[in-house]
Amino acid sequence: MKKVSSLVMALLLMVGIFSSPGFGQKAAPKVTLNFLHDQVEAVEGGAAVAFRQALDRVRKQNPNITIVEDSLTSQSLYTKVKTLAAGNELPELYVAKGDLLDMLISNKLIGAINKDINADPKWKSQFLPGVFTKITKNGKIYGIPCTSKSTSLIFYNQEIFKECGIAQFPKSWSELKTAVSKIKAKGYVPLALGNKEQWVAQSCILSTLADRYTGTDWFFKAKNRKGAKFTDPEFVKSLQALADLANMGAFNSDMNSLDNMQQRTIYYNKRAAMFIEGAWAIGDLQKDCPKDVLAATQLALIPAVEGGKGKPTAMSGGASVFFVMNNLKGAKRAAAIKVLKELSGPEFGAAMTEFNKFPAVKPGKYDASKVTPIAKQYNELVDKGSYVPVYDIQLSSSLIDVINSGLQQMLIGGITPKELAKRIQAEHEKEAL
Amino acid sequence: MNNNPLRVKRSVLILYLFPGVALFLGFVILPLLLSMRYSFFSWNGGAAMRFVGLGNYLELAKDPDFWNSFKNNIIVIVLCIIGQLGFALLLCGLFTSKLLKLKEFHRTVMFIPVVLSAIVVGFIWTLIYNKDLGILNMILKALHLQALIQPWLDDPKIVMFSVSAPLIWQYIGEYLIIFMAAVQSIDKSVLEVSEIDGCTGFNRLRYIIAPLISDTIKVAVMLCISGNMKVFDHIYVMTGGGPGNSSMVMAQYAYKTSFQQFKLGYGSTISVGILILSLTIIFISRKLGERKQA
Repeated sequence: MKKVSSLVMALLLMVGIFSSPGFGQKAAPKVTLNFLHDQVEAVEGGAAVAFRQALDRVRKQNPNITIVEDSLTSQSLYTKVKTLAAGNELPELYVAKGDLLDMLISNKLIGAINKDINADPKWKSQFLPGVFTKITKNGKIYGIPCTSKSTSLIFYNQEIFKECGIAQFPKSWSELKTAVSKIKAKGYVPLALGNKEQWVAQSCILSTLADRYTGTDWFFKAKNRKGAKFTDPEFVKSLQALADLANMGAFNSDMNSLDNMQQRTIYYNKRAAMFIEGAWAIGDLQKDCPKDVLAATQLALIPAVEGGKGKPTAMSGGASVFFVMNNLKGAKRAAAIKVLKELSGPEFGAAMTEFNKFPAVKPGKYDASKVTPIAKQYNELVDKGSYVPVYDIQLSSSLIDVINSGLQQMLIGGITPKELAKRIQAEHEKEAL
Repeated sequence: MNNNPLRVKRSVLILYLFPGVALFLGFVILPLLLSMRYSFFSWNGGAAMRFVGLGNYLELAKDPDFWNSFKNNIIVIVLCIIGQLGFALLLCGLFTSKLLKLKEFHRTVMFIPVVLSAIVVGFIWTLIYNKDLGILNMILKALHLQALIQPWLDDPKIVMFSVSAPLIWQYIGEYLIIFMAAVQSIDKSVLEVSEIDGCTGFNRLRYIIAPLISDTIKVAVMLCISGNMKVFDHIYVMTGGGPGNSSMVMAQYAYKTSFQQFKLGYGSTISVGILILSLTIIFISRKLGERKQA
């Protein structure tokens, strides 16, 4: 009797093995992954579609993996992640960015994925250079970037420039100042700025402008407290340049009560000649901008400064939002890695590019006719240029807070650039304690 | 046990009270105690909590941003006591006099803003204050008062006044209703006699109504203080505390520290600080009220 039953068991086992997907491999156990993300369709547009397609591919190829999605808009998402982190109840996979990453890493809530990346050279080779900067700590990589984009692009209206007698976009900072006074003389707002939420001046303007003066090495030396300070003359010069621009009336006088959406509105209404924002504005421009303004819109970078140490083709940017996972093991880990691979694969990259979004990986084959002229211009700028750090991605949130609110005060003449530099340095030193 | 049908049995009483008390303990008292505990830690949300004793409180005591936001709260409170209670009293005098027609209509109009969401009010007033499209600057222009036109929410010198205006505007109706109710409890004959004696209009308000409802006014002052110590949403929508920190109030500073800078320990300390300051101010205002009565 015993023999028979064990024979039956053995047979059943055999059947089980042969019928499982991937004959010869171990039967894949059922895995459920909870995924908390910000790809809400209505908000993210094409990016959310590309994201969903990638998840569907994983589901199709791996029937054993169940992905339970929970999607929120970014702002509420980060609040939720913080709350879940406080209670140590984070889902298997989620989206995190900026200051959250430092908190997650220092509390050991996310796991390093170096081994998984190194085990698959093909996967590794797909990423664009520099996209892991923010998520690497002591040589360990903790997640994969969702997208990568520049945060400081000058969108300018060619027609208004022509009308003001400016044939070409300024190549240097002093030329830009001349252009600003010419545009102002014609009654336009030279640079639309909506800095109510305080990050625009810092993330979109100062990050690049300061790099023009200081160069990138200085930034990392200052950040890591290795011989450079925010009170160094080159950094103060960059603040001074921005303050000078504000003093000459380059910005609209209500810049501190408008937000970045409203800064675009001034531009759309042909009342402003330029605005400075990141690549995320390209999609909105395509949607909201009147046809004639859109046709006249060109992209440029913040021009070179006299005697500056930074490269004039550089722009602040890179990856700022990441897919990360818990400290997973075994089957769950394998499944999560599969999801991460699909979300950084060539198909995902191609779909993103076709939707005029900017993936952190080299896209596979895509239909170039779907890419709009402005997105094309942007892709060219990225090809020619390089990314330099964005302040609010690299620095701690309390330091950023001091910079952000200080810039707002400086732009209305409340404090001098020197005072602001001192405040920033003081906060930076306080953090080291 | 007793035959009074209106008297409820003790057990029934406890049963009825239980849900309310439980909710209050769970959602008000417990978080408050937790927050007091957190205020002794340096904590950024994860598993790593570092006990710092009174360190956070020492930092709070010399934190210029906190005291600046406290100053702003005081400005809001003073403006609201003058604006809301003052206007409400004046209107109350008007509503109880014979001068005003269509009282029902006016009362409804005055009360409508009270039920609006703070976010809506904030947005409406942001539009009103808008430099180019706002109705305020348009009116000034129409009145040939161009000199007064300015970006109302962008100048640190006036921004506290600009953000207080919607607050005042919104809650006049609430205090009006409170005062009207108090006036209705005044004996009619008192008002009639005063009118016969020739005490009408503002004098009637000054010498008859105000003294008779002085207890209600005191309660209203207390409500006004406690409400404005935790003012947050209007200002958050309109300026986000800017430009710089010039319109930052304490509740927003606590929020910003906790959820933007992610210092949850210090954020809790600020909240406890708000609690202590609020209780102190209410205590002082009560003492002042009592002295006046004596």
